[in-house]
Amino acid sequence: MDILILGILLGGSYALMALGLQLQYGVARIMNLANGEVLVAGSFGAFWFWTGLKLSPFLSIVPAALLAFAANWLVYRYVLRPLVRRAKSHGQLEVDSILATFGMSFILVGVMIAVFGGEYFSYSYLARPFEIFGQPYGLNRIVAFGGSAVLCIVLALWLTRSRTGLALRGVAVNPTAAGLVGIDVLKASALAFALGGAVTATGGALLSAFLTFDASLGVIFTMKALIIIIFGGVSDIRGAIVASFILGIVESAVARLIDPGLTLAAAYILFIAVLLWRPQGLFGRKSA
Amino acid sequence: MLEVRNLSVFYGQHHAVEDASVTVGADEIVVMLGANGAGKSTLIRSIAGLAPARPGCSIRMDGEEIAALPPHEIVEKGIALVPEDRGIFGDLTVDENLTLGAFPDRARGAEAANRERIYALFPVLKERRRQAVRTMSGGEQQMVAIGRAIMSAPSILLLDEPSLGLSPLLCRDLFRALAEIRTQGVGIFLVEQNSKQSLAIADRGYLLENGHVVGADSAANLLADEAVSRSYLGAGEA
Repeated sequence: MDILILGILLGGSYALMALGLQLQYGVARIMNLANGEVLVAGSFGAFWFWTGLKLSPFLSIVPAALLAFAANWLVYRYVLRPLVRRAKSHGQLEVDSILATFGMSFILVGVMIAVFGGEYFSYSYLARPFEIFGQPYGLNRIVAFGGSAVLCIVLALWLTRSRTGLALRGVAVNPTAAGLVGIDVLKASALAFALGGAVTATGGALLSAFLTFDASLGVIFTMKALIIIIFGGVSDIRGAIVASFILGIVESAVARLIDPGLTLAAAYILFIAVLLWRPQGLFGRKSA
Repeated sequence: MLEVRNLSVFYGQHHAVEDASVTVGADEIVVMLGANGAGKSTLIRSIAGLAPARPGCSIRMDGEEIAALPPHEIVEKGIALVPEDRGIFGDLTVDENLTLGAFPDRARGAEAANRERIYALFPVLKERRRQAVRTMSGGEQQMVAIGRAIMSAPSILLLDEPSLGLSPLLCRDLFRALAEIRTQGVGIFLVEQNSKQSLAIADRGYLLENGHVVGADSAANLLADEAVSRSYLGAGEA
């Protein structure tokens, strides 16, 4: 029970970063390996809000999201769009974007080390126990989960109900047809990429409430987000959310029952199992 | 009125379409016949902005030059394409496909009216409005594709081999629906590989061979022409 609740709390926070990568990969078709660094930047933002400005780290979500949106839009517009234009095939774009964003991740790590230093960071905010079914859990975990859940729901509703959200899903499903119905695919991709970055940075700000992090932690989160969206399906929000919970539960079970050091190994075993037995994702269909 | 003048499209050194000229009026049905690989798809995709035309070609819609525009801007000028692979959103529902069809600015005002028009034309779509399109039959998917194109309120509807993969019965329904759409003031240009049925509803026809327009006449004359029947309508096959 304890493991289950901890796992769900953790999974809820993973869901946000996974949706961020899903927007970038599913709609904009950029496999963004710098996604984890954007998340860590969000964590640093929250850290600085609390320790530097004495403001609630949860308030940092607003400027972090806006800043990440603007920065990711610029990156798409000036770095990635030339690659999209040049790419003759989906495969070529995938290779080019992986290389470009992999390089970008090093730049971001370097900048964060230069600004904040290389040590580990954590802060104490709402570190009070909160009881669920008689068991105490950190209030910060619960608030982070709640914030993440609200944002996931808002995002999902926006994608399904609004015209712009529907247009982004249209681009994800069939970019050629999207152009034929009057959607400017490059513009929609830039929006999805920027929004994905904003969502990921928000996820980082929330996660930092209960997580110790350092400037080079990003790659681990990129991998986790990757595991979640491959597991859940590249363009399926439901799948990504369910997969986030499964990853959260598996990690907390392994940490509790076996050894905390093995959580990442467990995540990879899960990933390999998915690739072997269900490569199309949880709810995905076999591609033709 | 759509006017294509001296259109050439090259793939590398290979010319897929060369010096083709075609006009489609506001309420006529025009069919282009040609064998597999004659360049029909390239021609029609080029009009919609999916295949870049050679510089110097002219594609005009109601007098306005559209040859260099990207697909999403060509839709705004009143040209909607139903491509050979149908151009629908498989994971989305019928309703969502139609809503996306009305994405162009020119289509927003008439969205509700157009949706009713499509449901009147294809009642089965109304029954299945919440169904994911990829789970539907080929004939139903073709209806969604045409519906999605009508939602953008086109003046000219382009169709790339709409009868491909449909049973003779479904083909008959399809061509009947196209004739009905024409009566609502939409000009229709379709390319077909081998279809008497398409000529039967058409006003005029063109013949395309190796990327060149080699003939143009009224649909009635083309239907009556022995040589055309042999080469394009499959009548000469043993």
